[in-house]
Amino acid sequence: MGNPNAPIKMEVFDDYECPACDELYEETLKPMIDSYVAEGKVYLIHRDFPLPGHMYSRRAARWVNAAARIGKFEAVERALFDNQMAWSEYGTENPKGVMEPFVKAALTPSEFQRAQRLMRGCEVNTQEEIKGCALDSDIQHDIALGELIPVARTPTFVITYRGEPYPPIVGAMSWPLLRQFFDQLLSQK
Amino acid sequence: MSASTRWTTGRILLLIGRLGLAVIFLAAAYGKLRPLNATPWTLRSLEVTPSSLNLSMTFFAMQVDSYQMLPTWAVSPFAHALPWVELAVGLLLLTGFALRYVCIATSLLLALFYGVVIRSYAMHLSINCGCFGPNEKLDAWTLVRDGLFFVFGIAVTIGAFVMHKRNGVAASASPQTELPAQ
Repeated sequence: MGNPNAPIKMEVFDDYECPACDELYEETLKPMIDSYVAEGKVYLIHRDFPLPGHMYSRRAARWVNAAARIGKFEAVERALFDNQMAWSEYGTENPKGVMEPFVKAALTPSEFQRAQRLMRGCEVNTQEEIKGCALDSDIQHDIALGELIPVARTPTFVITYRGEPYPPIVGAMSWPLLRQFFDQLLSQK
Repeated sequence: MSASTRWTTGRILLLIGRLGLAVIFLAAAYGKLRPLNATPWTLRSLEVTPSSLNLSMTFFAMQVDSYQMLPTWAVSPFAHALPWVELAVGLLLLTGFALRYVCIATSLLLALFYGVVIRSYAMHLSINCGCFGPNEKLDAWTLVRDGLFFVFGIAVTIGAFVMHKRNGVAASASPQTELPAQ
């Protein structure tokens, strides 16, 4: 998301069902996307890292990857995080894990149909990789990248400034502090 | 064991104890103040510049923030003060100056750290500890380690008071004898 040539690159390893990931998204990433990403200062990369303990996070990741393939990543990511407390296993709605209405609301009818077609073969609610589900290969790729860091918990994010990586940060934090860190990086010669 | 041998043994144990605590606090300060990109315990990690210091302190502030314990306005001042407090405590322990009082401060700090770690663990916060630098997980081992540090701090504090009392008794028994500083 943003300008790939931005001086700061931020890779976020997320799980759509993790409450701290939701908090990071709502409190920090949203204002960051609207400002530093939009201004070309930060290039934000989302990486899927569905944790085995979360029942519906991989299926959520598949929906977002399907949306990404039709150019609607941001809208569906936002819809799922905004409504996490409704569809997740910790949520208020029953039955649990019903995320399709939120995806549908974020897309036009034709976009939703295209996303649904991409989800064919990927509907089974399992945290295991489904052979024949093309969307899972993207998720597996991200998981493999996370394991190199190594990511053990979510959200974990790695900030790189002009190619130089900084230590991974785990957990949610406030946007003003992250912005201060970015400003200090950008003021470096 | 004679009184003199006991006194010498006590002094040696107290010396080892306070040096051990000093190492813990100096390592904690170093971990927070060193340049983020430098490999720990290398010469490059000692090349602290105002710019690298700013980055390290803000990075530590982000870690403090992830504990979700302080209001946003308090995070940065706390994070900017703590490494210097740890450095000062470490240096004071190293010199042995005002040992009893420094030991009390040390124990209070260790109690605070232990309490924070217990709280975060109980809340299942998926965060880094930030105790000895970036990229250090907060897990069950952190809980055990900080608990041991706390017990160690209390033991050294008790030792400092006991040795001070013995010094006083020895000094009043033989006022001509000049006792070495602790």
